[in-house]
Amino acid sequence: MDLNLIAFWSLSTIAVLSALGVVFFRNIIYAVLSLISTLIAISGLFFNLGAELIGALQILIYAVAIVVFYVLVISTVPKYEGEAIDLKYSLLSTPFAFILFMELAYVSVYGLWVSGTGVFGPAMLNQVSNVKAVATMLFTKYLFPFEVASVILLVAMIGAIVLGKKDIVED
Amino acid sequence: MEILGTVIGVAVKSLIFIVGMFLASAYLTLIERKFAGHVQQRPGPLHVGFHGILQPIADALKVLTKEDIVPANVDRVLFYMASLLAFVPVIMILAVIPFGEPFTVFGLEIKPYITDLNVGLILALAFGSISIYGVIFAGWASNSKYPMIGGLRKAAVLIGYEVALGFAMVGPLMMAGSFSLREIVAAQDGFFGAFIWYQPIAFIVILFAILAETGRTPFDVQEAEAELVSGYNTEYSGMKFGLFPLAEWYIGTFVLSAIAVILFFGGWKGPEIFGPLSPFVWFFLKVGMMFMFFLWVHWTLPRYRVDQITEIAWKVMLPLSLLNIFITAFIILIKG
Repeated sequence: MDLNLIAFWSLSTIAVLSALGVVFFRNIIYAVLSLISTLIAISGLFFNLGAELIGALQILIYAVAIVVFYVLVISTVPKYEGEAIDLKYSLLSTPFAFILFMELAYVSVYGLWVSGTGVFGPAMLNQVSNVKAVATMLFTKYLFPFEVASVILLVAMIGAIVLGKKDIVED
Repeated sequence: MEILGTVIGVAVKSLIFIVGMFLASAYLTLIERKFAGHVQQRPGPLHVGFHGILQPIADALKVLTKEDIVPANVDRVLFYMASLLAFVPVIMILAVIPFGEPFTVFGLEIKPYITDLNVGLILALAFGSISIYGVIFAGWASNSKYPMIGGLRKAAVLIGYEVALGFAMVGPLMMAGSFSLREIVAAQDGFFGAFIWYQPIAFIVILFAILAETGRTPFDVQEAEAELVSGYNTEYSGMKFGLFPLAEWYIGTFVLSAIAVILFFGGWKGPEIFGPLSPFVWFFLKVGMMFMFFLWVHWTLPRYRVDQITEIAWKVMLPLSLLNIFITAFIILIKG
């Protein structure tokens, strides 16, 4: 059996099982732990596909930088062991889940057609590294969206600082 | 059959790295205790073996055979898992650290690294920061207030310095033009080619970040014995307790020192005065000196307050590392 295939099946089993854990664990700390496990398994899948840069960033950004704030907030609230499935919220979230599903389905089907085309095809990627390919696209073709995203982040950061300052003054 | 060979080869090599790191970290504890002793004008371990040379073995036996107490009110699964969560990611950093160039012995090519990814540095950062969960979950699972406070403090420290560390590493990366640790070493030629001469700001930021990340003294608010008993590991005992300092203070400091040496001091490069072994001798000498530097800081300086630590991280270190990126980019632009 191919090594890539073994890695794919074991990693996707871990990812799916821990994703189920995120939904069904009653203890929210365990839910967050399964979220981390899902994200790391997905990063492993990226490595398996040869997308090392996205795999490494997946761990650094998603599994650590973002989830650590969830953990900080969740671990300071008292132990909450409520219902894992709340009917009201499940009904409320169904349309959003449907939209999200459609979006993901669209992206996967679209990806099936366009993958392997474009400047950085598989042959090209063997010559230049992942990092170079991503950087080239980011700073040429997608420069404007990139700059817009960084301005939005800057605005969010300034807003957060202003909000944080206000609290101290009121105290 | 070829696949099996690759798997066994990688497994054996990883095992050698892990066992080697374990033995090395045992003796790093002895170095630290001797160092601390002489800093405080006492001899340090003296009685087990010649000048305490067998002390790590005695320590290991003691810690392994101690009664392992698990308090009644802890979350058992997380309590056990947390010590592993702190330990495993730190040792996984070893997978991307190269210890030298490939060499040939008896016609067999040996590569003194496990993998040479071209995103090695990002991966090292990622593994280093995952170990934060061990500390936070240890604090939470202990179900006790001092560990909880210690865990949260560590998280606050790490979030700040992880950002500064990431940005500070960009300077040497821009000069080398690669994320691969081997290519970064290859880009530094000769004594004055080492990046320390061109990136002093980045080096200072990284020193602070490594001290903060490994919880060594100016930044050891997560255990602050005077305030928090022993911080996040208060409820632990036996080997589960031993794994935390082993991971943070010894293995963590060692691998991060190795990365700092690779980034700034030309890795294993040096005059070939030790024959074929000289790359290894130079590399371990440099890493040892970095490690000793951290010990020196640890055993001489008092501790910062928590608010001072986060203030330094966000108001001094982050702007400094951004400024460093700007200056480096400007110089590269001019020199071409």
